[in-house]
Amino acid sequence: MLLTFKTMGALRWVLVGLSVIVAIFLLVPVIFIVALSFGSSQWLAFPPPGWTLRWYQELLADPRWLASMLTSAKIAALTTICAVTLGLLTSFALVRGNFRGRETLRAAFLTPMILPVVVIGVALYAFFLRIGLNGTLTGFVIAHTILALPFAIIPISNALEAFDKSIEDAAIVCGASPWEARLRVTLPGIRHGLFAGAIFSFLLSWDEVVVAIFMASPTLQTLPVRIWGSLRQDLSPVIAAASALLVLLTICLMIVAALVQKGRQK
Amino acid sequence: MSPEGTEEMTDSFLSIKNIRKTYGSVIAVEDVTLDIAKGEFLTFLGPSGSGKSTTLFAIAGFEAPTSGEVILDGQALLDIPSHKRNIGMVFQRYTLFPHLTVGENVAFPLRVRRKSASEIKSKVAEMLELVQLQDMADRLPSQMSGGQQQRVALARALAYDPPVLLMDEPLSALDKKLREEIQTQIRRIHKETGVTILYVTHDQEEALRLSDRIALFNQGRIEQVGTGHDLYFNPATRFVAGFIGNSNFLEVEAQGARDGRAKAVFPDGTQMDGVPLHTDGAGNEGSVLMVRPEAIRLETAASQGAGLPIRIFDTTFLGDAIQVDGRTSWGQTVTVRAPLSAGGAQGAGPGDTVNLQWNAEESHLFSNG
Ligand SMILES: Nc1ncnc2c1ncn2[C@@H]1O[C@H](COP(=O)(O)OP(=O)(O)O)[C@@H](O)[C@H]1O
Ligand SMILES: [Mg+2]
Repeated sequence: MLLTFKTMGALRWVLVGLSVIVAIFLLVPVIFIVALSFGSSQWLAFPPPGWTLRWYQELLADPRWLASMLTSAKIAALTTICAVTLGLLTSFALVRGNFRGRETLRAAFLTPMILPVVVIGVALYAFFLRIGLNGTLTGFVIAHTILALPFAIIPISNALEAFDKSIEDAAIVCGASPWEARLRVTLPGIRHGLFAGAIFSFLLSWDEVVVAIFMASPTLQTLPVRIWGSLRQDLSPVIAAASALLVLLTICLMIVAALVQKGRQK
Repeated sequence: MSPEGTEEMTDSFLSIKNIRKTYGSVIAVEDVTLDIAKGEFLTFLGPSGSGKSTTLFAIAGFEAPTSGEVILDGQALLDIPSHKRNIGMVFQRYTLFPHLTVGENVAFPLRVRRKSASEIKSKVAEMLELVQLQDMADRLPSQMSGGQQQRVALARALAYDPPVLLMDEPLSALDKKLREEIQTQIRRIHKETGVTILYVTHDQEEALRLSDRIALFNQGRIEQVGTGHDLYFNPATRFVAGFIGNSNFLEVEAQGARDGRAKAVFPDGTQMDGVPLHTDGAGNEGSVLMVRPEAIRLETAASQGAGLPIRIFDTTFLGDAIQVDGRTSWGQTVTVRAPLSAGGAQGAGPGDTVNLQWNAEESHLFSNG
């Protein structure tokens, strides 16, 4: 190691300072929105003049907000299942396959991550208009699965890459059919990758807004889409409460992911 | 094992016939034919890349050979999918299922075979006792040393009483002391179970210690099959002579070949009669003489005229023996390993000239190719 934290001398305090500033910069909006969601001011005044749970009560009493949350959860869950399943199959082909154009195919599967989301949104909108999938749950799940697929493929194929094929071979010599070996030995062996892929896919769908705006209909709106829509109509602190819930679930999932990661390293 | 038992092994339990495997233009195995008797411990020995694993994998069923046949107990094996061959295998790499405990790993092949719970339980206990790990049934593979993991892998591979056990350099990742310990265990287990074992290694000491017979691989072919004794004292090719043990290879001319023997004439004119001659099928006469360092006696140049004169340039004390390094008059180096108790020119030192003598029987003539 040429440059370690210990050997940096005074420079390391500059580094510490910078890190703290960046962390604050990243966290302040989140803290801000959570604070506002508990603030008593109708007009989102900051600092809040008092504290209240009123906005959460309103949020949870409003069937439209509840419907959005349910929609979001449903779409995210279905997206997770689709993305992880497809991601698993794709990873097997990309990691174990031995065919020409494998690297090109790998790159192709990762393009949704690089392509501007707006472009994907417009393309899907135009395409779904023809086949009548706009504003449907199916359309939503397909769109989000496309976006989530790279985030499922990366951790799953990494895990598969790290999993020694000889272990699967050993299961086969032991008498397990190739499918049984994959199911009973390889899948448990790459479960951390599957899990990471699932969490990433869920989170992607859960807080995705751009494509969701294209896919949404008045009766089918995810939480981010409703937040976005409400934002333009009336600037109510209920939005802050909804955002805070969005953040809460995200943080919970990240913590679970981190715990699993840590448990694995032990 | 008697050395002359080799050729009479007709009751072949496992037959490998003309196995060939190519990957594109790479020839991994060129042509391997071998018969293995029931209960035998046969080792594939050879340098890395000589096709040992590929041959083993063809028997296990991971890689279908390009051509050839494998017959196990009268049944053609190659048409049977790997998981139905009922063969045991221990791999070079650690292949315990990481999410299962040691006990569950050993139970896996029995579960797959839908054995009853009670049968599984007793068999797992029996197998763990066989590899002396009965107290570790509840450990995860990650909590065990490499040597222990390979012993569990051995228990798992034997749990379903396979007729043949394949082992592909199972100890190559372990340090020497541990390796020897487990080799002893493997020998014991072979005796106790009577299972036929095909073992792969590139370590000749390991092969000599474990095997009934050794098949020496070189470039996708078997150079020689025989007991360690055979390979050491009667190497069929120059490669075998060079691979097993230490050897001196001296430039000679073979003259008057007859009945598998010839006269060796060294560049300095020294002659030796009746040296076993090994032609490699091409019919060219031997032009290199092999002799083991420990087969050579040292005589003072003055004492008895006969022998190949060398000039000593180094001597090394090795405890039970002394190693003498010298050079022939035409500049080839020769190593002699003489026991301290031997007489002759023991006292000779660097700069002295001595005569080398050996029994013609203990040297071999090979073609120089
Ligand atoms: N999958 C493969 N593709 C191409 N070449 C291979 C493959 N497997 C083995 N080989 C080649 O075949 C030869 C024999 O390999 P192997 O049987 O593994 O040797 P060993 O086990 O004796 O070290 C080597 O030269 C190796 O490079
Ligand atoms: Mg090998």
